Amino acid sequence: MGSSRDAFRILLRIAFRNLSASRVRTIIIGLIVLTGSLLVVLGTSALASIDQGMRTSVQGSLGGHLQVYNAASPDPLELYGGLRGESVLEPIVDFARVKEVLSKVKNVKMVVPMGIDQAMVATGSVIDIALERLRSDVRRLEAGEEDPVLLESYRAHLSHVRRIVSLLKDDLSHARVIVDLQGREAAERKAEWADLTRAASDEFWDGFDRDRYGALEFLENKIAKLSMENAFTFLRYVGTDVDQFFEAFPLAEIAEGEMIPRGHRGILVGKQYAEEWLKLKNARRLDQIEERRARGKKIARDEDLQRWVKENGSGKKEILLQLDPVKAEEVAALLRRGLKAPEGEDLEALMGRLFDTTDRDFDEKYQLFYEVVAPRIRLYSINVGDLITIKAPSKSGYFSSVNVKVYGFIQFRHVEKSGIAGMMSVLDLMSFRDLYGYMTKDKAEEIAAIKKSAGAKEIERDQAEAELFGEGSASLLGGDTRQTRIDESKILGGPRARAVDLSTRVYSPAEIEHGVALNAALILDDPGRLARTQKDVQRASDEAGLGLKVLDWETASGVVGQFVIMLRIVLFVALFIFFVVALVIINNAMVMATLQRVKEIGTMRAIGAQRRFVLLMLLVETVTVGLVFGLLGAALGGLTVAVVRAAGGIPATSDMLNFLFAGPALFPTLGLGAVVSSLVSVVLVSVLSGFYPALLAMRVTPVEAMATEE
Amino acid sequence: MAIVSVRDVSKSYMLGKTVVPALRGVTLDIDRGEFLSIAGPSGSGKTTLLNLIGCVDTATSGTVLVGEKDTRRLTERQLTDLRLHTIGFIFQSFNLVQVLSVFQNVEFPLLLQGSLARREREKRVMDLLEAVGIGGYRRHRPSELSGGQRQRVAVARALVTRPALVLADEPTANLDSQTGGTIIDLMKEMNHRDGTTFIFSTHDPKVMSHASAVIRIADGQLVGREELNGTGD
Repeated sequence: MGSSRDAFRILLRIAFRNLSASRVRTIIIGLIVLTGSLLVVLGTSALASIDQGMRTSVQGSLGGHLQVYNAASPDPLELYGGLRGESVLEPIVDFARVKEVLSKVKNVKMVVPMGIDQAMVATGSVIDIALERLRSDVRRLEAGEEDPVLLESYRAHLSHVRRIVSLLKDDLSHARVIVDLQGREAAERKAEWADLTRAASDEFWDGFDRDRYGALEFLENKIAKLSMENAFTFLRYVGTDVDQFFEAFPLAEIAEGEMIPRGHRGILVGKQYAEEWLKLKNARRLDQIEERRARGKKIARDEDLQRWVKENGSGKKEILLQLDPVKAEEVAALLRRGLKAPEGEDLEALMGRLFDTTDRDFDEKYQLFYEVVAPRIRLYSINVGDLITIKAPSKSGYFSSVNVKVYGFIQFRHVEKSGIAGMMSVLDLMSFRDLYGYMTKDKAEEIAAIKKSAGAKEIERDQAEAELFGEGSASLLGGDTRQTRIDESKILGGPRARAVDLSTRVYSPAEIEHGVALNAALILDDPGRLARTQKDVQRASDEAGLGLKVLDWETASGVVGQFVIMLRIVLFVALFIFFVVALVIINNAMVMATLQRVKEIGTMRAIGAQRRFVLLMLLVETVTVGLVFGLLGAALGGLTVAVVRAAGGIPATSDMLNFLFAGPALFPTLGLGAVVSSLVSVVLVSVLSGFYPALLAMRVTPVEAMATEE
Repeated sequence: MAIVSVRDVSKSYMLGKTVVPALRGVTLDIDRGEFLSIAGPSGSGKTTLLNLIGCVDTATSGTVLVGEKDTRRLTERQLTDLRLHTIGFIFQSFNLVQVLSVFQNVEFPLLLQGSLARREREKRVMDLLEAVGIGGYRRHRPSELSGGQRQRVAVARALVTRPALVLADEPTANLDSQTGGTIIDLMKEMNHRDGTTFIFSTHDPKVMSHASAVIRIADGQLVGREELNGTGD
């Protein structure tokens, strides 16, 4: 109708004119709205990118699309560890059956078995390794070999051990000063000191060749334990079908070394874990200083960097211990030249000079370390090709251990530096089962063999007492008492033979699949239909009586997923508070404006403007401000996003962020959703905040127009 | 034929908890084409009477017929419509919309009516602006005009819809006496030209003398009606 169109036109005109007439108020309200929409755009686009980043990280590194685990488990599945440590899960006893059933569900592409846990890894201290080398030389010499190369190696290893012992004595002589020699352990301390003094004496070394085994045993039993170096570390691993794992998680890649050969036992150690826990501390600290400096930090101004430089000064002993006299001399010569140190300065002083670094000479010294020192020492306590022993408390409560070969270091693309994905090592499923304590066929056979060779007899628990201490017990206990010599070769032969045997054994897919797993990752053909497939998988499991619980990847990621949920809540609460405050301010300003215009509004009503005209006019004012400044804010948000992207993104300053961002920096993306939600929210807020003043205005009676202003 | 018929109308306000009577049993007929002045001291009920006739307020008792419509039986919306189509208002303090130009202020009621095409509407506004003598100020804002000029705009706005009845509450109170005189002359000219009924309140005897009749009220009651020749002399 013509009438309403004309009326609407004049209504718009008055509204716009009013906005421009009270410019200050419009701008203040506008800026609030602008800030709000800017925050919404920035917040939601950052969140969307984090969401995407996390999707990449979790789906690509461990989570897949769906996860299944035994529904009878006391804890929920948490792929990246919970706040109270690893989840306690009931096992999936027969993975093959699970795979058979779930593979048939529509949209399920792969079912990858998993078992996640932590284990202890013996890393071996420097003195252990030096003694181990010496012992192998001694064994060959004692066997009568007279190779000159062997003799030379024996001499070098001998002097290395001697050097370690003397360094150890130096170290402990400092410690002795602060040890209370009157206390309870005083006798023990004194005995230790006597042993060390003996081991460091010339007589001991002069007489070494007279009783090589005796001297070695003395060093191994009495001296090695005095070294305070850590000899083990903790490792988090996922036991899985390694080939399938790599197929299912395309982000996984071998950073160093090689893939575990198909069907073999073996471990791929997490690269980032190796950097943080297995690398020589001094080297690690140099790397960190280097990294921080690349980000613009300066040693002169950063307390962390200063602390690391200082720690490197005292950490140099660890390197000195590792160098045998030949290498020590090489390193000293090269360092003397590289650092332009005075002739005759000894290695310890040279090391001190190397690590005492400033912003001016850091790059030079960093390079010198990696060229001169690093190649001559063991930079990582576990290296590719090592056979390592992993121990873990098994299901039965006893420690079980397996020896596995380190085939390589593993990393996950985009999240290489992440302390969450990068900490994870990948272990073959058979070794996992051994550690987990679930009886494998190999184990069963091995136990049977041991029982047979030891003549052990299986007895019922309630008859144990009678069997051990009853009538026939004498013969049981009589066996070993006469035997005093221990047959070394027989004892060593057993476990070693087993380790070699197992590490070369190839397992068929059927062997790998028929057995226990703790959870399984499901990869889907179409991740878009995740929710539906989740229901289908649950139904299939229930129908087949598998007793599984099905989680989506986000829930399964546990504390990581919760962090994102928390971020989301924090953002929404912050925005909510902001908008409530904005609402109050805008509402207030508009109420004031309405009160100032009571007479004008009354006049319009007297002249013949309907109530809805006045209501609309006031609403148009606030909504216009909301829309215009909301759009401006969204545009500004878009611009900010573009600028942040151009400037290299938001740097991930922690491991968690690295994982969430799926990379070293977050590149926020401007989604249509972010813009739409910002506009919707600011318009909603302006309508809400304009509604009350508009209602007030609507209630103004035409009588107000007549009121005389005094 | 009376355009306004007031029958035994009373109006009282609540002031705190006491009832203040503003009008007490007023009965009055106003014919078409009259140029009527309502006179009386401040607080006598002039404005209240005008508000009731102007359909911006409703009586406590009695009936008010405007153009033969009983205002008590109309809804708020119908009352607004009645004001839009039948009544024009001139206020003591002009009450122009500050953000609109002179032209737009006068055009405003026509746009609310929405019944005229653009060209016709513009012509009517311009003719009227010329008639009240401010054709040259059409683009000015009210704040750029003198009091007299503003009141001319208000007169034009009141007349633009060609209402049967124009109500003016103390139209000259905020003007000096000379300017006030010219505004009254203008109103009277329009009264003659179109036969529009004018009712205005005043307590200025000089302004009163221009009316064709004067109704006097005091203490909310009609005191008397006196016919004048309306020449202002």
